[in-house]
Amino acid sequence: GKREKMARAAKSALVLCMDVGFSMSNSPPGEEPPFDQAKKVIQKFVQRQVFSESKDEMALVLFGTDATKNPLDQDGQYQHITVRRQLMAPDFELLEEIENHVRPESQQTDWLDALVVSMDLLQKGKYDRLNIVLLTDLSTQVSSDNLDVIIGNLGKLGITLQFFFPFPMEEEEHNEEGGGGDGDGDRRGSSRPGVGKGLSREQKQGLEMVRDIMLSLDEDEGLDQVYTFSEAIEQLFMFKHIERRPMAWPCQLTIGSSLSIRIVGYKAVTDEKLKKMWITVDAQTSKRDDVKRETVYCLDDDNETEVQKDDTIQGFRYGSDIVPFSKVDQEQMKYKHDGKCFAVLGFTKHDSIHRHLFMGSQTIKMFAPKDDEHAGVALSALIQALDKLNMVAIVRYAYDRRCNPQVGAAFPCIKQTYECLVYVQLPFMEDLRQFSFPSLENKKFTPSESQLAAVDSLIDSMMLVEEDENGQKEDMYKVHEIPNPAFQRLFQCLHHRAVNPGTPLPTMEQWLKDALERPSAISERCQAPLEEMKRKFPLKAVEKKKELKTGAQIFEPDAKKSKVDEEEEEFNLAKISEGNVTSVRARGLCQQLTHRIEQLLSNRSTHYYMKCITCIQTFREQSVKLGNADLYNSYLQSLKKSIPNSGLQVFWDLLVQGMISLFIGEEKKEVETEPAVDDAGDVDDLVSVCLNSSALKYLMFVS
Amino acid sequence: MINFVCLVLHNKRSAQFKKYLFIYLFIYFLFSPSVNYKVTGRDSLVFLVDASKEMFIKGEDGEPSNFDITMQCVRSVYTSKIISSHRDLVALVFYGTEKSKNPRNSFKHVYVYHDLDEPGAKRVQDVEALRGERGARLAADTMGSGEVSLGDALWCCSNLYSDIKLRLSHKRLMIFTCMDQPHGGDSTKDRQARTKAGDLKETGVVIDLMHLMKPGGFDVSLFFCDIVSPPEDESELGLQVEPCGKLDDLQKRVQAKQQKKRAMARVNLCLGEGMNVAVGVYANAVTARKPSAIRLYRETNEPVHSKTRTFHTQTGSLLLPSETRKAQVYGNRQIVMEKDEVDTIKKFYDPEIFLIGFKPMEKLKLHHHIRPSVLLYPEEQQVTGSSCVFAALLKKCTEKKVFAVCRYTPRRNYPPRFVALVPQREEVDESNVQVTPPGFNAIFLPFADDIRKLDTPQFPTASDVQVDKMKEIITKMRFKYRSDAFENPVIQQHYRNLEALALDMLAPESIEDFIMPKVEQIDRRLGPLVDEFKELVYPASYNPDSKPAAKHRQDNEKKPKVEIPEAELRAHIKNGTLGKLTVPVLKEACKQFGIRTTGTKKQELMDALIAQMAK
Repeated sequence: GKREKMARAAKSALVLCMDVGFSMSNSPPGEEPPFDQAKKVIQKFVQRQVFSESKDEMALVLFGTDATKNPLDQDGQYQHITVRRQLMAPDFELLEEIENHVRPESQQTDWLDALVVSMDLLQKGKYDRLNIVLLTDLSTQVSSDNLDVIIGNLGKLGITLQFFFPFPMEEEEHNEEGGGGDGDGDRRGSSRPGVGKGLSREQKQGLEMVRDIMLSLDEDEGLDQVYTFSEAIEQLFMFKHIERRPMAWPCQLTIGSSLSIRIVGYKAVTDEKLKKMWITVDAQTSKRDDVKRETVYCLDDDNETEVQKDDTIQGFRYGSDIVPFSKVDQEQMKYKHDGKCFAVLGFTKHDSIHRHLFMGSQTIKMFAPKDDEHAGVALSALIQALDKLNMVAIVRYAYDRRCNPQVGAAFPCIKQTYECLVYVQLPFMEDLRQFSFPSLENKKFTPSESQLAAVDSLIDSMMLVEEDENGQKEDMYKVHEIPNPAFQRLFQCLHHRAVNPGTPLPTMEQWLKDALERPSAISERCQAPLEEMKRKFPLKAVEKKKELKTGAQIFEPDAKKSKVDEEEEEFNLAKISEGNVTSVRARGLCQQLTHRIEQLLSNRSTHYYMKCITCIQTFREQSVKLGNADLYNSYLQSLKKSIPNSGLQVFWDLLVQGMISLFIGEEKKEVETEPAVDDAGDVDDLVSVCLNSSALKYLMFVS
Repeated sequence: MINFVCLVLHNKRSAQFKKYLFIYLFIYFLFSPSVNYKVTGRDSLVFLVDASKEMFIKGEDGEPSNFDITMQCVRSVYTSKIISSHRDLVALVFYGTEKSKNPRNSFKHVYVYHDLDEPGAKRVQDVEALRGERGARLAADTMGSGEVSLGDALWCCSNLYSDIKLRLSHKRLMIFTCMDQPHGGDSTKDRQARTKAGDLKETGVVIDLMHLMKPGGFDVSLFFCDIVSPPEDESELGLQVEPCGKLDDLQKRVQAKQQKKRAMARVNLCLGEGMNVAVGVYANAVTARKPSAIRLYRETNEPVHSKTRTFHTQTGSLLLPSETRKAQVYGNRQIVMEKDEVDTIKKFYDPEIFLIGFKPMEKLKLHHHIRPSVLLYPEEQQVTGSSCVFAALLKKCTEKKVFAVCRYTPRRNYPPRFVALVPQREEVDESNVQVTPPGFNAIFLPFADDIRKLDTPQFPTASDVQVDKMKEIITKMRFKYRSDAFENPVIQQHYRNLEALALDMLAPESIEDFIMPKVEQIDRRLGPLVDEFKELVYPASYNPDSKPAAKHRQDNEKKPKVEIPEAELRAHIKNGTLGKLTVPVLKEACKQFGIRTTGTKKQELMDALIAQMAK
């Protein structure tokens, strides 16, 4: 426990050491110069650190610079190396500095010298991990005189190294992923751009030296820390390497009352969410303090009489009854348990646990504590025995006293370098949704032999895992190596907005788009089988008016608009919103209306609901006038569909009450009849009329 | 060898268990709004129960009567409705009674015990009273057994529906009987019943038969085949071929019929340009939680509703959404975006499941789990031909032992996730009830960010002797796992508490914690094996139960109070280095400056301090 606690408190230090020298700007025509790629790598990396609000400190060393600025600059040694930034927590200043001041320069510097300068930076301060990341094309002549001393010092100081080159190191590398969180075999192949280019003598010599260094630091996995620039951008190797290790959860695995084994659990896989939330600020001042949110409680009477929060108590529904149940009583009567626990209930066959019934959002790996060999052996006996019997343990798991206990399965996991139990939560009876579905073994749907053959060849043409000439299985699409695009895109946009306020958001980065698409090799290969599939399986979309549409889609039926169109539309919308009502065409008016309705609806309040109803009334009226009911009807359909998701049931009920009939000409359409009409027994015609007359006026007002 | 499960089961046979096993059988939490109540209107369910003499005959060996079984079933549906969907309407109607009780008393031998309404505590007690010996006597006293006219009974039920002013989205009627010829061959009555059933079906009521065991077997074809609704789909089994003899089975059938399939989403499974197969997305399992509390007015106990308003602090005027923007703060820098920009950042694709390719099953890693899976099933009504492609894919993927890797965008403005589509073939049990539906399970796959890097400790592996001893232990503790065997004690306790309060009971009934290890039984079964194993792996001096961390924890508690000078705090805020301070320091600082914070998260504390200092 103690060790882990310390590790959490401490932070790590990392030096980004980048070659900006002359050769880095060279590239064959049409290819991105190594300099640009390397700059992107460090930008991506710093960006991630900034947005994860990492406390880890970072320094930036550039080499090949025209100027010299480093503490070792003496007697003409260590020239053309610039320490751009000392070890500090990364921030926007660093991002701006990289953006504006890291540019190609014209010198060439021995990268070993730059490494020494970087090592020197790491000697100050207290850190729990020391890392150096070197990005270079290895094009300079290197003096290997002090190589042994350097390697010795790296080892002594416990510095880990990562190298990033514009080209892959060699074909046979990258086969085995080392230990670590995932540890399941081969990494994405090294057949990336940049291969096949003949390497210069300096580069070959450089690679030799890198190999020496890496292998003497770590015999087994050293070479796993050598990457290409493109790998670095598309995957999170650098980030993963310095990432803080998950919190340890020490506990005892118990079997009955007298057999216990000390274990430590670590989250191995978890649905990672963004920690930061958006806050609401005033549009004019951008100040958070100018916006206040207030929740009031009202009685369900005609006046919606407000009551103080202190005058309310808590209750729960028990069917049609509502049972008052105070917090104090609830706390006292609730289920209580003894806290932290990992207790075996029994053992069962591995195959009685269904993968599709895994619950929760994480898997936990259980090891014996680092310094406890006896626990290690005992746990190993359990893991081996489970594995040999093809069984798993069913356990009660409770994180601590405050957390609800779970039932889950502990699977044996045996890897080359380690053994552990993998814990996954299983469902409670209450969680299960046991639906039954019509059987597909039905004459109507049974595929013919030729149809099955078409599917067969489609699958064959789309296999993402294939054996290469050496019988090695290559996986060309590893989802667990793709960074979460949601994070990536958000960081990109935040970064952009922070550094260039007032400019529109950038488009998605191409590499990210590509990473989420079908590999081009597969796309090509499956072309013919796919055509065959289309011939063999007639598919026909059933025409339905109920298509989910947004206002914009309705008015712009062509879904695949070019970018230019989109911009144009935005422009129009802006103009309309300024209140130029008289000049807008009918469609524009409808558009404006739906836009306004959408805005108003995001305010959950009866007052705004009434305004929306007015808008919808106007919309209906206008549509009738124009003799074009489709726009209105399909908008209303989409609105109706969105109601349950948006929690606007109250509004919908009001709308139903407030209108004579919802859809235009709905009497004719049996199937589409809105059941709500039945309810509208006592429609208040007066209200509708009243609202109608003020509708347009209101529209001008809110615009 | 006695199986481990026997131990559990033996325990389960207690009276407690009998009572509660079925109570929450049907919980499918409608409180998760994204999944349910997509269809507007309420669901309704009418139990139409035969109360003729035959229903009260006890089985051999004192097996409960069909009537008793049915009442247990009704009770469990009531309680589960209360928990999961209290807004649904349920009715209980008996036919073949001696006495009559219905709205206008226009039907003889039909006894409306509960008309269509939301179930509550009182109704649970009412049904509870009809169970067992005592229940049979009560039924005889209040209703008695008499002539049967299913036609009248169905007519009465159709009146129940038409008396309801609420909008009903789903109407279901379940007939519970053990008589395959309810009118004893009276063709007039048979015809009348058929006509009434036809009328009901025309108004959208789905009629199911829950036929019960009878000596000589229940022959559906004699009469009931014309009464029940045709299967929703040609392929559906529709009528259960075998009658139910056991409560278990009956429960399962009622449950299967009762659970409405509601898709979380309907999207296209896109195999390639121009090849779209429509599929519905269904939850396999959803974590059930305690429902959230309702606020009540202290004086009257009536529910209050809340309204949230956003207004300008200075002017006090209400703010329209267009008058606000969204922001995030990093260090000392605030990044501002328009609301729709925040949405567009999240948009990657239109909703779809896009096929990337296939991989052999062994490439699906057990520990690559980030959220509960969902089930895909074709939607023939959206795209005709979908079922055929789907069935072919299912067949071939199973045969070739491959899964499909797909990019899944569940809805608009939702970033994609990747899923592994794992084929699942249909399975039915001995009595032809589907236990596993056909379809593709979509297993969510982790991105690089979701995978943590661990430093793995290395230990010597156990010797064969040690492993063999553990194998003996494991073998002694084998049991058959069933996913529906474990109730959630937290939720069970919560509802037991509510039940006690609602029914004015002195104390809630105690629950059985099924996820508690049965330590005594385990110890007894393992006997000397534990000590033998310990001798093999632990030295005499070693105690795995000692807690080396305990001492360390005490040290922590004695930490002195931490205060920070205002100047220093301001400097931190100015430099954006507030994050360097620890949570206790920040909390102390908040106290120092009289800031009331509800949050305990670091960011919340920091935000509060920054806000205070800016004043």
